Amino acid sequence: MTAPRCPRVFEAEAMRDGRLTGAERAAFERHTTQCADCAHEVGALDELAQRVLEMPDCALDELHVRRERTRVLAAFDESLVLPRQRPGRGWWLAFPGVVAALATALFVYWRARPVSQVERTPNVVVHPESSAAWSKRTEGNREIVTLEQGALWIHVEHAANPRRLIVVLPDGELEDTGTTFTVSVERGHTQRVAVRDGTVVLRIQGQPSVGLGPGETWAPSVTPAAAIPAITSAATEHPSSEPMPTEAPSAVPVRAPAASAPVTAAGASGEFRLAMSAFRAGDNVRAAAAFATFLAKYTSDERAQDAAYLRLIALQRAGHESEMKQAAREYLRLFPAGFRRTEVQRLTVP
Amino acid sequence: MNRTPKGQLSKSDVPSATDPEILQRLACGELSALGELYDQYNGIVRRFIARATADAEDVDDLVHLTFLAAAKSAKKYDGRASCRPWLMGIAVQLLRRRRRGLGRFLGLLSALIGSRSGNVDPRAALHARNDVKRALLQLSEPKRVTFLMAELEGLSCDEIAGALGIPIGTVWTRLHAARRELRQLLEGDREP
Repeated sequence: MTAPRCPRVFEAEAMRDGRLTGAERAAFERHTTQCADCAHEVGALDELAQRVLEMPDCALDELHVRRERTRVLAAFDESLVLPRQRPGRGWWLAFPGVVAALATALFVYWRARPVSQVERTPNVVVHPESSAAWSKRTEGNREIVTLEQGALWIHVEHAANPRRLIVVLPDGELEDTGTTFTVSVERGHTQRVAVRDGTVVLRIQGQPSVGLGPGETWAPSVTPAAAIPAITSAATEHPSSEPMPTEAPSAVPVRAPAASAPVTAAGASGEFRLAMSAFRAGDNVRAAAAFATFLAKYTSDERAQDAAYLRLIALQRAGHESEMKQAAREYLRLFPAGFRRTEVQRLTVP
Repeated sequence: MNRTPKGQLSKSDVPSATDPEILQRLACGELSALGELYDQYNGIVRRFIARATADAEDVDDLVHLTFLAAAKSAKKYDGRASCRPWLMGIAVQLLRRRRRGLGRFLGLLSALIGSRSGNVDPRAALHARNDVKRALLQLSEPKRVTFLMAELEGLSCDEIAGALGIPIGTVWTRLHAARRELRQLLEGDREP
């Protein structure tokens, strides 16, 4: 038989939830100094809260946070540039049919599935160099390849692989958003990334993320002061059919060829690519000129705002302060509601 | 396109802004405002979602969706000094939506294969790493999120009621029920 409890025990919870204030609260606090039941109740509620606070957190590494941050910003950015098309009303008419088809397909698959069947292997093909030290594992919806030393040639069949592929490097990571690329590591540092098809995002610790497109190669800069990693068009340096890097990766930044690479400027896309190529290669003067040309010719193009912004960034990096300020004013004139306007306004302040 | 210069302006260039200011800039489509909001609240939102959901795989996606939804709803922000309760409210809505979607899918699957039907997510047990987490996951979702908002995030009952769009009396009732059930479950675990 349990002893009768104090009738004021319920006030412990009321006090915790802020329902007791002022004199009521003070009276109950005095009461708890004399009543064992109420003091025990207050302690039990504190202990319960404490146990929840002490639940272990899943530790997150800096790169993971940066990757997720980039993902959120990119998604928001994309939604600004390309507003999503709302499906028409006709979609709802087809909805029951789609659900029925999916359910049937699931049922057939579930029934036909052999009991011993393991999880379907995603279509990620990795060709390692003979001396490469690497491993591959699956974490949730991610395929994670860890490269410690040597070179890998990686091909991802995205049509068959809904998972994301992350290549973990000693000094960063590489996220595949495309199909075929090579990556090499020497003495704990990423030496070279060459993309043949599709795109990848390279994140090296302490440096901004870099997107590499088809035919582009990344190599580390010599001096840490070089803010822009050396990127060049691999079309001129490495044949696109090259499956693996055969020569020793060079630590020398690859700069000039990209700027002078014979990229054909066919229409707006070609000219924008040309400007981006120069920008990524660090040839800021040429990039600024190319973006200005693009802006003058294709003012109503959806990339015009990007071109205006990248132009002033290129001028800033080139050290052309007065031209940069003029370009900033030009940006604000052309895009008074542009989503970079606050940053740009800040740049115009003397 | 690749917006390489993103983040070129260092944080030191940007004076620390209040939550209403950040959300006002975000409502105007300013990308850097979302970055500031993310930097400030990512850890808090992630911790809350990780404790509120049974499925660790969903946490990244739910955090991602919470900030995107916040960006889209920034125009509707009511201007309170701290947007933490508001962000929590968005996260709870997404959790609820995710659970309903998953529940419907599992129900359909169970019906199709003729197995025992149920609304319980079978992945829950796999991810319960300790007794407190396990006990939390046995609470209904409304009680769990209310309890976590109060005891983990330290929100007042008023703030919880505002964030969840429910009367304050409901908050008190949920908190009381959640504490009672948790204490029973945890005391049950202690018995040999």
